[in-house]
Amino acid sequence: MMPLSIARPGETVTIQKITGKDEVRQHLAELGFVVGSSVTVVNEIAGNLILQVKESRIALDRTMANRIMI
Amino acid sequence: MAELKIALAGNPNCGKTTLFNDLTGSNQYVGNWPGVTVEKKDGRLKGHKDVIIQDLPGIYSLSPYTLEEVVSRTYLVNEQPDAILNIVDGTNIERNLYLSTQLIELGIPVVIAVNMIDLVRRNGDQIDLKKLGEAMGCRVVEMSALKGEGSKEAALAALAAARGGEAKELPHVFTGSVEHAIAHIEESIQSRVPERFLRWYAIKLFERDERVMEQLGLDKDNILAEHIEQHIADCEAEMEDDAESIITNQRYAYIHTVVEKAVVKKPRKDNMTVSDRIDQVVTNRVLALPIFAVIMFAVYAIAMGGYPFSIGTMGTDWANDTLFGSIVPGLFDALLLDGTGAPRVAEWLYGLIQDGIVAGVGAVLGFVPQILVLCFLLAILEDVGYMARIAFVMDRIFRRFGLSGKSFIPLLVATGCGVPGIMATRTIEQDRDRKLTIMTTGFIPCGAKLPIIGLFAGAVFGESPWVATSAFFIGIGAVIVSGIILKKTRAFAGEPAPFVMELPAYHAPAWGNVLRATWERGWSFIKRAGTVILISSIILWFLQGYGFVDGVFQAVEDNNHSLLAVIGNALAWIFYPLGWAGDMAWKATVATITGLIAKEEVVNTFGVLYQYAGEVDLMEDSSPIWAAVAADFGAMRAYSFLIFNLLCAPCFAAMGAIKREMNNPKWTAFAIGYMCAFAYAISMIAYQLGGLITGEAVFSLWTVAALAVLAVLLWMLFRPAPKVREEVRFRAAKSAQSA
Repeated sequence: MMPLSIARPGETVTIQKITGKDEVRQHLAELGFVVGSSVTVVNEIAGNLILQVKESRIALDRTMANRIMI
Repeated sequence: MAELKIALAGNPNCGKTTLFNDLTGSNQYVGNWPGVTVEKKDGRLKGHKDVIIQDLPGIYSLSPYTLEEVVSRTYLVNEQPDAILNIVDGTNIERNLYLSTQLIELGIPVVIAVNMIDLVRRNGDQIDLKKLGEAMGCRVVEMSALKGEGSKEAALAALAAARGGEAKELPHVFTGSVEHAIAHIEESIQSRVPERFLRWYAIKLFERDERVMEQLGLDKDNILAEHIEQHIADCEAEMEDDAESIITNQRYAYIHTVVEKAVVKKPRKDNMTVSDRIDQVVTNRVLALPIFAVIMFAVYAIAMGGYPFSIGTMGTDWANDTLFGSIVPGLFDALLLDGTGAPRVAEWLYGLIQDGIVAGVGAVLGFVPQILVLCFLLAILEDVGYMARIAFVMDRIFRRFGLSGKSFIPLLVATGCGVPGIMATRTIEQDRDRKLTIMTTGFIPCGAKLPIIGLFAGAVFGESPWVATSAFFIGIGAVIVSGIILKKTRAFAGEPAPFVMELPAYHAPAWGNVLRATWERGWSFIKRAGTVILISSIILWFLQGYGFVDGVFQAVEDNNHSLLAVIGNALAWIFYPLGWAGDMAWKATVATITGLIAKEEVVNTFGVLYQYAGEVDLMEDSSPIWAAVAADFGAMRAYSFLIFNLLCAPCFAAMGAIKREMNNPKWTAFAIGYMCAFAYAISMIAYQLGGLITGEAVFSLWTVAALAVLAVLLWMLFRPAPKVREEVRFRAAKSAQSA
């Protein structure tokens, strides 16, 4: 497993695990980041990511992206 | 018949407000980013006077993460509408149905409206409404709020559900052992809650929701609490996960099966949508900032620059020179003067109308073209979806200054008006970040400050577009510097909350929304000109036209002897270090004080003061007031005045908003005091040191003082941050609870 933050733009990956505090995990889940769902990296600036998950586009900063393991 | 309440609930940016406007005929502001609506708003359903439609801020779930989400949850759970119309974005149905699974548990009749059905069809997807309805246990309709298609039907379906009263039987979303635990919890709290809400409470208890536990008195009833805890723990052990995650995962699993049954998606050839391709360019790591700077420069150049394509400036020039320079005064002359050029009415009344009202209100109204053009361009940027990207791009930079990119949206909203800007801070998760953003939002040049910039840019700086652009960057600079300085104080120390934000899909501007936003801002500006500005024009005209000369109260020839000059001069010493000296000192002081009523007042005040001063040369190309202002203000003096008025305490309306959002008198006072002190320091440095370079100021004790202030500022900027470790609180629910 590795953190989502190191995925390259254009890559599509599957979430294996989400770490971190309950509240953050819960919020990520509400946005569609749950174990087993696939995520496409649209763009990346200095570790901050624009991701496509389910049918929506979500921007995450590096600290959040580090909590999502792929 | 009793009134019925229908609440519009759904994910952020799914079209609730568009539908609300359509159903009620109101004109609520619609933007293309999540979190435009931060307060609940109600209106009556067209054709049904007894039905109230309630627009709510968007939510992702019923466990609120940000403050505006608390508004929605509190309303839905505690005030209980008669029915919920759940708007679901059809192009993102899986994520949107997550909230729906929670809403149906509330025990309130729910109708699901699948919105953006036109886009769904265009994508070639099919949604089986009947199957979806069966699986969700409620009626499902389709609509396109933007096109006005099906919205009436959706409202009528919700109305029928509200009249029916009872919610339908719930689907079994969870698997055996979870349902088993929930059934046990239901049984044990049966006596404490009404039957229709039983399931909602049981699920919340299963998730160990602290607020619900407290509400049901479980914190005092240990036996019951332990009994429930046992069921949760057993279930957790069996599923090898924590209760909250179990619920979340099973909701998604259920939705997945529902979507498989009811939605047929046309396979996409390419993974990348048009929005993704645009994002690859505008959020590109190298190009993002230059693109943003170019766009902002273009916006300000078109609205306020002096180029051949600057439509805003052309309109304002025409309004100032022709409309309020000759047409309107000419009209009043024709009405009020007889053949010989003597007034038909009393001399003083003629003076009041021409020099007071026409000059004062005209000076403000002259800026309407520039403001309309600026608001129009910003509304387009907002509506196509660019603003949300800027928040993302700026996050990387703002984080260095202790702010998150989310602070950027309130700042951008504030370029229109500070009041909604300050309210937009509710989308910021962390209380500390929110306070900091509230304190700095007022630094941004809002629509009402534009006339001040326009006046000086035109009168003193030869219509250079750099004045307006620099005003924008001074605003941003003030935000950044304040961010750094305040972050190093104990109250604000700590990392900003991590950045998480949904980016809306780009779409072509919806002209109705753009024009509505433009008109709303422009109209409030015009309305103020007709009310507050009009009245204060009259008061100002009187105060500057009368005074004591040789001990006798009379009309004065030279307004330097007027009552207003006396008041202004009595206070002008405060601003002496900022370079406000000579004849302009009292005028600038009065303008600054009247600016607290509304920032347009600054220009209105100059309009009244300089029009009276008389030296009007209509042969000149520029506005008559310009020449008089230019004669009184040197460049650095004008710049110092500009900076102070851009950064100091905002207008009363914005101070009221600060007070509401801070919800604490000490913080309110600190915020306003900080802004004034900061404005004072920067203007003083600009005038004393800048003036020394241009030769406008001479070396004096004040130069030394300015250097000292600069040194203190630099020290506060560059000193090492004190080390403060503290628990970061994310859920706004908690801070709202303690408030």
